[in-house]
Amino acid sequence: MTLSDVQPRRRSRLAAAFSRLEGPQTMGRGPGFWAGFLIVVALASAYPLFSDGYTVGNTVYFFTWTFMAMGLSLIWGYGGALSFGQTAFFGLAGYTYGVLTINIGAEYGFTLVALLLAMLVAGALAALIGYFLFFGRITGVFLGIVTLSITLVFERFMAQTAGPQWAIGSARLNGYNGMSGMPPLTIPWPSGDIVLYPDVTLYYVVLGLVVLVYLGLRMLVNSRFGNVLVAIRENPERAEMLGYDIRKYQLGAFVIGAMLAGLSGVLYTAWGQYITPSSMSITAAALPIVWVAVGGRSDLTATLVGTLVVLGGFQALTIYGSQYALIVMGALLVVTVLVAPEGIIAAIAKLPARLRARSQKGEAV
Amino acid sequence: MALLQTSGLNKHFGGLHVTNDVNFDLQPGEIHCLIGPNGAGKSTLFRLILGEHLPSSGTIHYDGTDITTAKPFQRIRKGISVKFQVPGIFKALKVRQNLEIALQHHLEGHSLGEEIDRLLEFLNLTDAADQLAGNLSHGQKQWLEIGMAISLKPKLLLLDEPTAGMTPDETFATGEMVQRLNADGVTVLAVEHDMAFVRQIAQRVTVLHFGRIFAQGTIDDIVADERVAAIYLGEGHHD
Amino acid sequence: MEFLTSIFAAFYQFGDAFAFLVLSACGLAIIFGMMGVINLAHGEFIMCGAYVTVMATRAGIPLPLSILLGSLVAGIIGIALERLVIRHLYGRPLDTIVATWGVSLIATQGTLIVLGSTMQGVGTPLGSFVVGNLSFSTYRIVLIFAALAVLGGLYLLFNKTRFGILARATIQVPHMAEGLGVNTRHVYALTFGLGAALAGLTGGLYAPTMTMVPTMGATFIVEAFVTVVVGGADVFLGTAPAAVVLAVVKAGMTSWQGQLFGQIALLIAVVIVIRLLPRGISGFILKERA
Repeated sequence: MTLSDVQPRRRSRLAAAFSRLEGPQTMGRGPGFWAGFLIVVALASAYPLFSDGYTVGNTVYFFTWTFMAMGLSLIWGYGGALSFGQTAFFGLAGYTYGVLTINIGAEYGFTLVALLLAMLVAGALAALIGYFLFFGRITGVFLGIVTLSITLVFERFMAQTAGPQWAIGSARLNGYNGMSGMPPLTIPWPSGDIVLYPDVTLYYVVLGLVVLVYLGLRMLVNSRFGNVLVAIRENPERAEMLGYDIRKYQLGAFVIGAMLAGLSGVLYTAWGQYITPSSMSITAAALPIVWVAVGGRSDLTATLVGTLVVLGGFQALTIYGSQYALIVMGALLVVTVLVAPEGIIAAIAKLPARLRARSQKGEAV
Repeated sequence: MALLQTSGLNKHFGGLHVTNDVNFDLQPGEIHCLIGPNGAGKSTLFRLILGEHLPSSGTIHYDGTDITTAKPFQRIRKGISVKFQVPGIFKALKVRQNLEIALQHHLEGHSLGEEIDRLLEFLNLTDAADQLAGNLSHGQKQWLEIGMAISLKPKLLLLDEPTAGMTPDETFATGEMVQRLNADGVTVLAVEHDMAFVRQIAQRVTVLHFGRIFAQGTIDDIVADERVAAIYLGEGHHD
Repeated sequence: MEFLTSIFAAFYQFGDAFAFLVLSACGLAIIFGMMGVINLAHGEFIMCGAYVTVMATRAGIPLPLSILLGSLVAGIIGIALERLVIRHLYGRPLDTIVATWGVSLIATQGTLIVLGSTMQGVGTPLGSFVVGNLSFSTYRIVLIFAALAVLGGLYLLFNKTRFGILARATIQVPHMAEGLGVNTRHVYALTFGLGAALAGLTGGLYAPTMTMVPTMGATFIVEAFVTVVVGGADVFLGTAPAAVVLAVVKAGMTSWQGQLFGQIALLIAVVIVIRLLPRGISGFILKERA
């Protein structure tokens, strides 16, 4: 086979991959949608020009959570598996990043290696837990309460690591007060390393990651893998009787979701240079559920938009005290489930099509 | 050689013997119907063949290999395919996507689209291709599921009451569908209540009663068999 | 004598763990077993029972009555919650669990706002007794008997009373029960209320032994979840035997490595049980009775 034989096929593979940016599993298609998408990205890129470094640095904080939310959308919204353990992977990756970088440092771009390793550790734990759960055929509510139990016990474990005996190398775990002092992400650069403090540079890096992960997941959910995942959500027995080993698909989604939660955990840890067990508490574990449910779990765009909107609202309410903000979050969750189970953002996005259908029906009558 | 052979197959739930020493064979290329009163063990035998239940004892051989303990998806990959009694379709997805998920094992790109169109036509569902599967009529749902089952190009197609809830016209159309598939070489095993449908398609009939094989033969043999009539009469007519 | 003392200590620890597991789980298990719903606000019903008990005791009501009052209040709130939220979500178990999590957030944070981050508790009553050279809490013995009494009471309720028999009929064949004139909505509401009242009872019983904080419910839920997952859908064939098995694991690990490792061991036990018995112990006992 010559190179010229390979080339067109590779191009068509690439074209096929890009064609999956839109498909039955994602809202938004056609030039209109993508023009809007580009405008939003352009606005987000221009935003630092009209703001100060401190505010931009705080905006990054919102973005860091979106990976965990999109991962949960993949597992829960697309795969139909209720995982309440996202924050366990978030915390595990955050702590892993801390332990690695406190011990080894930030030279030669090691923080980026640590980021990848931390995501891999989160993925490995997910693979282990997921093996027992999915291959044990645990589904439905049990999956939720087992993953939540694991998260809570992990939180308690980390909370009691207060003494000096709880250290990994030179990294003290520090019990309930959490671990701090790890270096921020650092990009090696010939003219001097670029240290990503919560500022404009970090903003662009994380924004780039958000766009990349969003588009990557769009391709994933519209691929064969995504097809099977929604098939399992709709009717696991039928999916199995089409010859799919559904356990492997669920495990795959679970691991990807966990690694994305891990990415959030590392970015959060590197952003604030600290991580505490309370990031895995039952309250913290509820928040990703709120974002994803309110946005619309079975669509990535709705999840992403919903997460940012709810986080923004939460932040605004926190001025009055976080307990008030959390009550609003709880109420939002209950109301969403009762009134718009598919998610509020998703319901709004589908409104025009519904109205059109209704008016057409009206004309027909 | 039989395409499917069960030997000494037993299944009990607690003390209840649901499948009792069943030696059942299915010959390549035949259309075979499984009938019997309610609770005769038809569904259980079906689920044993599919691997949704594992037998308490006995073996199942398919196409020369022992599949007694194989997982359901492994059996599907060997060429067994199934249509459930309650339509097992993906209700929130479009009809076209339902078929795509079934076909994407072995097809992609352009040929996938062509095969979907061909199947839609075969199933009389071309006009409904972009509807949500959940919005189809009951008969159409049954057809869609048959379409998904045959997407896998099975050697053996299992049908669990394929005409349940259908109008007589739909039932007849389904029978023709099954016969066309059989003409293409698919072996068919159907659990069925509707005797008109059985008469339309069956080349051989097996009667199950209390988990045992009670009678076997052509439809005419079965209808003529007074003992078979007796067990149905004994059951009354809540069907 | 020392040998006998350590035997008694082992039984005491086992009994303590057993009581905690049974009492943590029974309310959750009743609701799950009868309605297929997991109530994530379970911990908050326990907290509610505990708070009411402490407030009533400090207002001068004797402790046993306060505990019953705590249970009653939790039960009434449970019925109200069923009316307002749960009822609209039947047939959607995943949505129910999510919605009750929202309720749990509201309850925890609401208590924090209204009653502050901590509340003065009541001391553990009844003092202690000595066996050999070890001292044991008498109240813990009371808790063990309370757990057994709850199991016995539930058995009588579901087998000997009209409500229990109607409830079981409703759960097994809802449309049949409706056909017989049973108001199934009523039965569901009462069942949910019963589960909540049991949670409140647990809170009341443990209130004298705990620090009163709005998040205290979280102390119970891991044990409750684990017991229900291992036990499956039947309180008598599931929860009780599961609690026996898990209590051995928990008491053993706790006395060896401490409270936290007791919990970690529980989790590992659960994961292994899940792999071996996907439908829990009651599913195993009722093996494939389809």
